[in-house]
Amino acid sequence: MSLPRPLEGIRVVDFTWVRAGPWAARWLGTFGAEVIKVEWPENLDILRMNRFTVPTGVEPGPNSTGQFADTNANKRGITLNVRTPKGLEVIKQLIAISDVVIENFSSRIMQRFGLGYDVLKQIKPDIVYISMAGFGQTGRHHYYGTMGPAAQALSGLTFLSGLPGAPPAGWGWSYLDDTGGMYGAMCALTALRHRNATGKGQHVDLSQMITGITLTGSAFLDKTVNGRQARREGYPPGNRTTWPGAPVTNNYRGPTVAPHNSYRTKGGGYNDWCVIACFSNQEWKNLLKLMGPPSWADDSRFDTLNGRLEHQEEMDRGIESWTKTLEKYELADKCQAAGVRAMPVQSSEDRVEHDPQLRDRGMYTEMDHPMLGRWKFQNAPFKLSVSPPEMHRPPPMIGQHNREVMEELLGLSHDELEDGYKDGTFWPEEMPMYPYVEEALK
Amino acid sequence: MTNDASSNSAGLAGPLSGLRVLELADEKGQFCGKLMGDLGADVIKIEPRGGQNTRSVGPFYKDIPHPDRSLSFWHYNTSKRGITLNLESTEGRELFRRLTATADLVLETFPPGYLPALGLGYKDLASGNPGLIVCSLTPFGQTGPWRDYLTCDLAHLAAGGQMASSGYDSDDVADAPPIAPGGGNAWHIASHYAYMGIMAALFYRDASGEGQYIDASVHEACALTTEGAIAIYLSTGEVVQRHTGRHASPDNSVKIQLPTQDGGWVNVTRSGSALNPARLRRLAEWMDEHGLAQDLLDEKYQDLATVQADARHTTDVLANFFANMPQEDLWTGGQERDFPWGAIRTMDEIMGDPHLEDRGFFVEVEHPELGQSFTYPGAAAIYNGSPWAISRRAPLIGEHNEEIFCGELALSKGELTLLAESGVI
Repeated sequence: MSLPRPLEGIRVVDFTWVRAGPWAARWLGTFGAEVIKVEWPENLDILRMNRFTVPTGVEPGPNSTGQFADTNANKRGITLNVRTPKGLEVIKQLIAISDVVIENFSSRIMQRFGLGYDVLKQIKPDIVYISMAGFGQTGRHHYYGTMGPAAQALSGLTFLSGLPGAPPAGWGWSYLDDTGGMYGAMCALTALRHRNATGKGQHVDLSQMITGITLTGSAFLDKTVNGRQARREGYPPGNRTTWPGAPVTNNYRGPTVAPHNSYRTKGGGYNDWCVIACFSNQEWKNLLKLMGPPSWADDSRFDTLNGRLEHQEEMDRGIESWTKTLEKYELADKCQAAGVRAMPVQSSEDRVEHDPQLRDRGMYTEMDHPMLGRWKFQNAPFKLSVSPPEMHRPPPMIGQHNREVMEELLGLSHDELEDGYKDGTFWPEEMPMYPYVEEALK
Repeated sequence: MTNDASSNSAGLAGPLSGLRVLELADEKGQFCGKLMGDLGADVIKIEPRGGQNTRSVGPFYKDIPHPDRSLSFWHYNTSKRGITLNLESTEGRELFRRLTATADLVLETFPPGYLPALGLGYKDLASGNPGLIVCSLTPFGQTGPWRDYLTCDLAHLAAGGQMASSGYDSDDVADAPPIAPGGGNAWHIASHYAYMGIMAALFYRDASGEGQYIDASVHEACALTTEGAIAIYLSTGEVVQRHTGRHASPDNSVKIQLPTQDGGWVNVTRSGSALNPARLRRLAEWMDEHGLAQDLLDEKYQDLATVQADARHTTDVLANFFANMPQEDLWTGGQERDFPWGAIRTMDEIMGDPHLEDRGFFVEVEHPELGQSFTYPGAAAIYNGSPWAISRRAPLIGEHNEEIFCGELALSKGELTLLAESGVI
């Protein structure tokens, strides 16, 4: 017997593409909503083309990328040209029996399709419509475009990351695609619950870039309340809480403490690093005891937080001379056993292969994928005791579910379906069909 | 134009109005409570006597440390009421049980096992309120070999993979360590996911009447938040390399963070900036207005193959243009010409952004205790039918003790005094 799913019975029309939008809709599917991804092969989702995630030995193609697979699990997929009158009519039929429409196009694209909120609510008065444009749908610069890195730069997040005196290091991935995706799911869940309580749908106008600003709250208030200059000596302080020699300010990562840094570990490889932080004199004493204690640390300058902050360079050199003698997992385990906060820097490989916690908690679920074979998918980072999130369906191959959606859900006849393939509604007229698409029509 | 938080446009209630949340959360979960409070939930923050430890985190108002002056606490605890309660006292536990009888959700961040040991675990609390949802947000969840490990933001960004993806090209900073981006984002990531789990449980509760227990993990949330790094590894076995201000990748990709004339940088995201003859022409005409187009207006660039073949030269000319122009003109000028560029802005540049003002993003929040109001960051998403709003500034320590213990639980002032004197509140 399968466990109950929280969003059982909820249908989502998913126009999203690339990363933030699909990641949002993925969670709705993971909670049991029926998510139908709408695509058009001539404007392929760029994650279907990510050259870095086609496994060796797998024939490249739009159904062969690992990145698309994980981002679009738990969805069905159709191909439909909503730019044609017939395609528009079909999508309206689908929207009329759906609960949520979600998209992350540039602002006003949906209006151009003839699918703005004013139209959507005529088709389905209590529809929940989530738009996820970079700058949002309103405001004078609504038409500005963003990809993750530019959105992060504009939001102030990029400037929070790096070493003093060097260019910002920023974020080595589209953090705002991840966060934008979480936020899109949060908006959909919240507005759906509000609809259930009141009977009223609504348009939720999310901005990816502004999402980033909401994650800079302490820096924001330090500016508006205290007038602190953002560009200042010693900021941002790398992995430290404050940079030695610079005036002490809180730099928005929690309490100002030392040690609080990254250190090389045994092996010297690219990701052979750990972090150690001591939040109290007691934790520092625990670390000293664990280290030997070393002769360099027999110095009253390190007894107080002030002294440790001031002499971080010397202290960190000393600590690193010890961390380099231990492998990073061994080091973290020893520190933790001694009551010291420490964790290894984990690469993707480390998380998948070496992290005992993620293994124990079942972070990755395997499902069969038609092109990728047995494939790992990332689970939700929380467990619900009664209605758990679940990986239940591999991502759609492009146009995979046209027949079941058009015939079973919308009641089109098989002839109508075949006509739609001939007239460019369900597949581009000039484009050869994949074997599974032809097979599904038989 | 600013948006006065107290006058919720058109008098509509937030989407979570009617939801009663008891929050017992430190840095791990206070943001999750704020997310719910700003959307209309009635969030009661239950702090230990003397206040939650997050009150001791700076920066402080005018740099004068005080538990009611932490700007960090201010930001993460808007739209909450605050009470104090010593859960390690018999009376404190009893009062907490009475509060849970009318609550929809308990959000807690204690070490695993702490509340059950006090007789306040999910099963204990749900016996009097079967619809109750309890969400425990802890560093590693309630089970597993690392369950009791000590962490902090930096530790989570190390173990979660954020650091392995963030840092520098070696020609920008030689021998740079992996960098943990600042701002406390391990807690943001965890709180966002916890919010999703809570909404899913509420959705199920609304349909079935049945509450449940949520075991949420900061580590798993972080491990899930490095975009393509895991997929790249699973697909090819390759581990990403760190690059300055752009995606970590298995290859040595083209730089996209270009320095500007005034000491700033503009990020010219690759995937949105692909050049063809028409787009190159558009850029070159703009550059020519400043005498910096060099040869880019040449007819030979009206051929796509030439544009692609000369990409390196074009990038050099572009970099020279950037080096001679101010950051603000560059990114807005690029956007007006359909290039999705973004300046690396600090708070200095974000304040007063007219687009943000158009969206009512800058919110004035009153601090009656100081006789002043301050500008807070507003909403990421505009809920057109049920507005987001900061209903009140963060609570002072125990500010709502009387309102809740006397007003709601019907204690007398005398009983309240006894509780305070005996170390319960």
